[in-house]
Amino acid sequence: MTKSLFRYIWRHSRRDQLIIFAVVLGSLPFFYMSLDLPRKIVNEAIQGRAFEDGRMTAPFLDFAIHWPSWLGGGETQIVEGVQVGRLELLFGLSFLFLFFVLVNGFIKYWINVQKGALGERMMRRLRFELFSYALRFTPEALRNVRSAEAATIIKDEVEPIGGFIGDAYIQPLMLGTQAATALTFILIQSLWLGLLAAAIVGAQFIIIPRLRRQLLVLGRQRQLASREFAGRVSEVIDGMEAVQVHDTAAWERAEIGGRLHHLFDIRFKIYKRKFIVKFLNNLLAQMTPFFFYAVGGYFALSGKLDIGQLVAVIAAYRELPPPLKELIDWDQQRLDVQVKYDQVVAYFAPERLRVVEDAADEDRGDAPLEGALAIKALATFDGHGSPLIRGGDVSLDLPSRVAILSDGTAAASNLARILARRDESYGGEVTIGDRHLSALGHGTVGRRIAYAGPEPILFPGTIRDNLIYGLRQRQIEDIEADEEEQRRIVEAKRTGNPLDSVAGSWIDLDRSGAKDHVALDAALLILLDRAGLGDDVYRFGLTGLIDPERQPGLAERVVEARHRLRERLEREGKSELVESFDQDAYNAHATVVENLLFGMPTSPALKGRAIVEHAGFRAVLDQEKLTDDLVRMGVAIAETMTDIFEGLPQGHPLFEQFAFVHADELDEFAAIVKRSHGKGRGGLTRDDRERLLALPLEYIEPRHRLGILDEAFRERLLQARKHMRAMLEERDDPGVEFYDPDRLTLAAPLQNNLIFGRVNASIADAREQLRAVGAEVVAEMDLSSEIERVGLDHAVGPAGRRLTAHQRAIVNLVRCLVKRPDLLVVDGALAPFGEKRVAELTDFLLESVGTHSLVMVLPNDRHLARFEKAIAFEDGHLVAIEPHPSAAPEPREAPSEDDGEERGGEDGLSEAKEGQPGASRRQAAE
Amino acid sequence: MTLETEVQSLRQVPMFRGIEPSRLKLLAFTSERIRFTAGQTFFSQGDAADAAYVILDGRADVLLDAAGGQFKVAELGRNALVGEMGILSETPRSATVVAVEQTIALRIDKRVFLDLLTQFPQMSIAVMRELASRLERTNAQLLARSGQ
Repeated sequence: MTKSLFRYIWRHSRRDQLIIFAVVLGSLPFFYMSLDLPRKIVNEAIQGRAFEDGRMTAPFLDFAIHWPSWLGGGETQIVEGVQVGRLELLFGLSFLFLFFVLVNGFIKYWINVQKGALGERMMRRLRFELFSYALRFTPEALRNVRSAEAATIIKDEVEPIGGFIGDAYIQPLMLGTQAATALTFILIQSLWLGLLAAAIVGAQFIIIPRLRRQLLVLGRQRQLASREFAGRVSEVIDGMEAVQVHDTAAWERAEIGGRLHHLFDIRFKIYKRKFIVKFLNNLLAQMTPFFFYAVGGYFALSGKLDIGQLVAVIAAYRELPPPLKELIDWDQQRLDVQVKYDQVVAYFAPERLRVVEDAADEDRGDAPLEGALAIKALATFDGHGSPLIRGGDVSLDLPSRVAILSDGTAAASNLARILARRDESYGGEVTIGDRHLSALGHGTVGRRIAYAGPEPILFPGTIRDNLIYGLRQRQIEDIEADEEEQRRIVEAKRTGNPLDSVAGSWIDLDRSGAKDHVALDAALLILLDRAGLGDDVYRFGLTGLIDPERQPGLAERVVEARHRLRERLEREGKSELVESFDQDAYNAHATVVENLLFGMPTSPALKGRAIVEHAGFRAVLDQEKLTDDLVRMGVAIAETMTDIFEGLPQGHPLFEQFAFVHADELDEFAAIVKRSHGKGRGGLTRDDRERLLALPLEYIEPRHRLGILDEAFRERLLQARKHMRAMLEERDDPGVEFYDPDRLTLAAPLQNNLIFGRVNASIADAREQLRAVGAEVVAEMDLSSEIERVGLDHAVGPAGRRLTAHQRAIVNLVRCLVKRPDLLVVDGALAPFGEKRVAELTDFLLESVGTHSLVMVLPNDRHLARFEKAIAFEDGHLVAIEPHPSAAPEPREAPSEDDGEERGGEDGLSEAKEGQPGASRRQAAE
Repeated sequence: MTLETEVQSLRQVPMFRGIEPSRLKLLAFTSERIRFTAGQTFFSQGDAADAAYVILDGRADVLLDAAGGQFKVAELGRNALVGEMGILSETPRSATVVAVEQTIALRIDKRVFLDLLTQFPQMSIAVMRELASRLERTNAQLLARSGQ
């Protein structure tokens, strides 16, 4: 990135800037005219100087420059004009003035729009460039980069720079020429007044910037402090668990409070100084009119200046301070923005970034990574400069399954990262086949090597999105370029943005080996299944929504499964387990509101408590005369809740689980209940009634057992259901997807669609029994893989937090396998798992890489025998060891005493230790 | 049958006798009323203890596994509390309980029950008193037996 902001702006927006320049210059004569006309109107038309000496007409639309005496005097005629009378001259000149005002206004508008567009385009370019830089951070630099800081820089710090870019060149030019024109005009009218104005302008220009220098230093401090502040806040948010576990909120508060004080301090200093400067600036600007009135008036009285000239000079002077003020502001902004820009550029310093490669270079050395993996005299250092790997030569043939046996230090992981090209600072040589590892292009590395580290990185999106992330390296196919797309491409070209569209197809099916997206899903599911995530994905599928576009035909099959489930339940005499949705019957196990709507609400206005504010909903309740009764039920519920939950501390888990009301609402409801015992309805406010109305909507008689919902009332609710439906269907968007036994409810989870009703929770083990019957139907119709496909749509949440650590780790591993790399490096990715699962997953990985290579870091040699080859460390030196104990009489070469002993339990030496009291227990614990 | 009738039943259980009505109502409200068909098991010997049951209506047998098969050790009727020892001592079920006829029971979840005990000392004392009196009875029985 260019060091100087101005050079950067000039390089990328030269053409636009020049066009605007030209217009600014072209507009100057108009500006001059609008200054000169008032003088003419007063002098020639009103005072009638043009008609002196008995002339009846005067020239109009003529143009002449009157040179002041100090320039030799006289005048130069430019346009002749036409002869008109006095009144015509007045109106003519006045309309001409109006015309110039309009022209000036229009030119200003055009320039502003162009400037805005220019600034926005440059900001887009700048942001995109910075983001591209961020993508190039080296693994080493990443250790010191805080995500929130980078985000603040790209989003917030660039904003004022972008705002300034449009003004960078044009503003000083436009304002400067305007000020110069005005000043020239004054000078032409009166030398002394002109010099006076120039002197004050000069003073402003010299004093103000000096005063502002201190401001810049403070501005720089402020920028750094707020950037760190943003970084710190996000760190605390990300580490909230640690904060809560150790209850260090007070410390964090103090820390943030301290930062806020520091920020306030800087900002307050800035304010004080800023307003002093402003005060001085205003003072100087307002001194000038004083001189003009006094000195100008004196000249006019003494006849050295005519009244018209004085009016015009004062008018011209009015034009002078605004551009000057803006010019000074611009200068301030320039320095300010340059500071910001320098800080931004420093953040993305070249030494923190990977080298850019052009497209052809990315595939440098692209051929399967096979042949001899030769590591020669490898030497690395840890972060503190002490040696980690101290040399040693190893050579083995790929493809193969290679274990790196850890010696308890970071050396094994270090070697794994080097092989995965995650670490490039090492001495010695690593070659595969005849290619240096360090010489491979990024594209080749991305395609042919995969690395699964200890911390799985998941992006928000679905499980599928995360699994196929590695297949999205290049756009495979463009989208159709309609008009909108064309426009996007044109803009992208102008701003150095990518021409690729996210809407295009990106998934590299060839590399995954699947022929289409359905096959790809199937392949993903096979991998997940074998990695032990199949049941989880199945469960996600049951609670997921069906995407009819992705899985056409599934809707019909689910509806059929629904019917079969019903039949099977009836056949087995278990139909009581589920109370099906029936248009003509009240569902006792569903809530009151579900019974009223008889469908899944899709609009937020009909979900949760918001529904009591829905005008249509309320109208139906009123018309059916249900409102009062429901409010009465609300009172009964509130009464019971305040009675039985009283004395339970706020935030107690029982509240969340059982109470109709939130813990902190309990007191409010107690007050409402008290008011309801007042005379008639008078005691309750409108708001009270609304809140009470919301309570019975969630009521289910068999579950809550308050005995407030009898048969007669159910009948009335059933009547209201029809009315409700009619009301909602009249609207463009009903906001509810009504239940239909023969149609899928898209807004409802798959399992709800299968059950199509509510589980009768008052039957012992109802859910387990239903699950068993459901599983039979699913098996009979062979639906499980389709359900698992729905599960692939499960959203993983920010950073995958909606998944467990185990699920995240498996998604991470499967993602690496999906792109079928030549070399899969696994380093600590199995750390979250217990011993049994580690064994299973190791086998899974060994099998899944097929004919490709697997390099895996092993914390101990328990699973060493499963590998074909192994590398170990001897006093920091790499050595190739034989993974199979039978062939190696003494596998205990590990440098660490502890490791050696631990291994004793597993590798056949345990017999020797049988007699020792600790040995068998340790074995059991393992 | 509503919450009120369940509270009446709970009041008949010796362990809950000393607890004030609004707490009993909370206990009832946070429990589930469920129905077992004849022959359906409440829980089996060796299962993890996850809940206690109060029989509101119906009958259930307590069975012990032995070498020759199961044999019945007790019969539970209306207002009987069963399974409470398991959730208090965190041990697996010591016996199997099976409904003899259609039986309606109140299922008191272990976690909810322990939450209530932690929250309301009065409830804990009532439970302790009941346990102490059981211990006393057992001691007395032992004494009587050793005296023989």
